[in-house]
Amino acid sequence: MYGKGILKGLGVTLKRFADTYLDDISWWLQGRKRYYTQEGIAHRSSKNTRGIFTVQYPEEQLIQPEEFRYVPFLVYNEGAEGKKEVRCTSCGICAKVCPPQCIWIVRTNDPNTGKPVPEPKNFYIDMDICMNCGFCAEYCPFDAIKMDHDFAIASYGRNVYNLEKLLKPASYYAEIRPLNYVKEEDARKAKEAAKAAKAEAAA
Amino acid sequence: MEENKYEGLNLPNYNIPEDIQNVVSVTTIDRLYNWGRRWSVWPLMFGLACCAIEMIAAQASRYDMARFGMEVMRPTPRQADMMLVSGTVTKKMLPSIIRLYNQMPEPKYVVAMGACASSGGPFKEGYNVVAGIDKFLPVDVYIPGCPPTPQALIAGMIKLQEKIDKQSIKKVRWYEKGKVDSNYVPMPILGPDLIDVRRSAEFEAAAVKKEGVA
Repeated sequence: MYGKGILKGLGVTLKRFADTYLDDISWWLQGRKRYYTQEGIAHRSSKNTRGIFTVQYPEEQLIQPEEFRYVPFLVYNEGAEGKKEVRCTSCGICAKVCPPQCIWIVRTNDPNTGKPVPEPKNFYIDMDICMNCGFCAEYCPFDAIKMDHDFAIASYGRNVYNLEKLLKPASYYAEIRPLNYVKEEDARKAKEAAKAAKAEAAA
Repeated sequence: MEENKYEGLNLPNYNIPEDIQNVVSVTTIDRLYNWGRRWSVWPLMFGLACCAIEMIAAQASRYDMARFGMEVMRPTPRQADMMLVSGTVTKKMLPSIIRLYNQMPEPKYVVAMGACASSGGPFKEGYNVVAGIDKFLPVDVYIPGCPPTPQALIAGMIKLQEKIDKQSIKKVRWYEKGKVDSNYVPMPILGPDLIDVRRSAEFEAAAVKKEGVA
């Protein structure tokens, strides 16, 4: 018989439609909220979901996986009295590896000697050119530049970010990428311990 | 904070006495007009590159732009309100895009989606790519990303809705007297160095100056 497939397809749609309401009722009976909650979106993103699976974006967001990457940002350590210890040394490796060449670094020179100081005077990234490849974060030897999870950055003009706008604390980085953060901190501590041991052996 | 949120939203600024607050409500023509427009921004159905795939994803049931009244992708520019430039604008495609833009009736908006449309992205110095559609069209919202995820695209659309909210019927360009088609963009001339006709006088002056020196 012709048209069997169409009927089957319509049946699937109808089942989805009914499932939405059945799921709504079962969640309501359990006293859980199916919409606009972390729990709800986690369930609707899982493979066990039935019925509606629309992400009601501004009210709720998909839970981003840790390795999700959008545009880059610069990490700073929170020093004493809220001092921003910028990790970046303005070495320029990120600007060199950037495929679309959207990073521009202004280096600092010592006012007395004129020699370069390992700290950026300013740091520009044209977010409208950035292609979210993550090479800068991959190549940075100081773990200073990382990829952000924040994607709602649309604006009415060109998005050229300066140092002030790029800086975000290390605690924020730990929050969005907990596993990577722990790994990097452990590696850094191990390196420091090895250096100390070597210095002791030499002495 | 609260005041900042409502700044420029064409509010009536009229205090209703407390005893009739649940009977009377006051609004402005602007608010009504913008409310109608903001929930029926119909995009023009065309995609240029990989960003178009994300645009399709945003339109489908997972993200469902119909929640914003943007589900009707018009195949003709005559019925569209918004041009979503989704992808790399090549020099060969540009005249067609300009023609589509000129055929759109006012009010019309342009959204540059993704790195290529905003600035040329990785192809910004390419021989065949326009380094950003904003060189030719007045872009209202820039959405960074390569490509922007459906959620980022929707965030951009919300930005556009906020822009619509802040417009006033008295000041919008399409009701200005004596300016019938104020936003007409002349067709660029296709060639090795794509020429923006609006700037031809400037180029000619530069050429004359150069010749004069030589």
